[in-house]
Amino acid sequence: MHELGIISALVHTVEGIVREEGLTEVEKIVIEVGELSGIVPSYLEQCYPAAVYKTFMENTKLELVVVPGIVKCRGCGRIFNAAANDLQCPGCGGQDLEILEGNDMIVREIVCR
Amino acid sequence: MNGFKVLQVRQSVFADNDRRAEELRQELKKQKVFLLNLMSSPGAGKTTLLSRTIEALDGKLKVGVMEADIDSDVDAKTIESFGAKVIQLHTGGMCHLDADMTRQGLEALGTDDVELAILENVGNLVCPAEFDTGAVKNAMILSVPEGDDKPLKYPLIFSVCDVVIINKTDVLPYFDFDMEKCSANIRMRNPKAKIIPVCARTGEGIDKWIDWLCNEVTAWRSP
Repeated sequence: MHELGIISALVHTVEGIVREEGLTEVEKIVIEVGELSGIVPSYLEQCYPAAVYKTFMENTKLELVVVPGIVKCRGCGRIFNAAANDLQCPGCGGQDLEILEGNDMIVREIVCR
Repeated sequence: MNGFKVLQVRQSVFADNDRRAEELRQELKKQKVFLLNLMSSPGAGKTTLLSRTIEALDGKLKVGVMEADIDSDVDAKTIESFGAKVIQLHTGGMCHLDADMTRQGLEALGTDDVELAILENVGNLVCPAEFDTGAVKNAMILSVPEGDDKPLKYPLIFSVCDVVIINKTDVLPYFDFDMEKCSANIRMRNPKAKIIPVCARTGEGIDKWIDWLCNEVTAWRSP
């Protein structure tokens, strides 16, 4: 299960930040998921409770913000939404694309008491 | 929202793993151990290529292998029969290895008498690409029956690889696999990747792969 492993990585990263900042009682984390990150937001939400079970993030809420995958065609320079165009330039049909945005999964915010 | 504090983070979800991987790499540099992360789909020929590699490096480099699988030790037994030091890592259902699991694997393997450690990652083109294991170089095998369009379907793994080995060239006449097109597709994702066509079964092209590997190991182990 791909998303499960990713949440384990997330728990470690958040744990590091929480310790560094001396935070207590995490309420919610806000994650940005890029459309081109290969991560399926609904799967992430579904397996989240199981992945954080018995960690310090148990009972925390997860909020996902989907970031559109924006790419630039290296052939003609056109900028477009990759997912909506099936990874193919709507101008020239090129597939040599540079990813401008939506490639990552980022911890945007940690909400705590 | 009284009493709540919002911390703006903007850090990659993989930040913690990336840091641990970098620490591991620095330690390996001091110990003069070269770690290669070998990735591919299931059935692309990782174990066969490894067997060939161990044979070819016999007497040249001391090799240790970590076989990562969700379960079973079939691959470890095969590799052991070729005379390399080997351990089996079970990921317990996880689809990839991260830096901590790799560190534990290296400790279990013991690296005092190892110059080249090879991590045979779980057969998968998605997750292993996202987790830096701490390896010095990433290699992947793409086999001819998988098709020349794989780099378009799984762009991430091709973008993190230093070398792409195209395996099973002996079956090229039976598949619509265009080597030129495949190379172009790989270059789109990763202009710097070295591409080496081989046939692990017959040994064709293996010398070029061994040359690449030996050069990289020598460069890493020299101060």
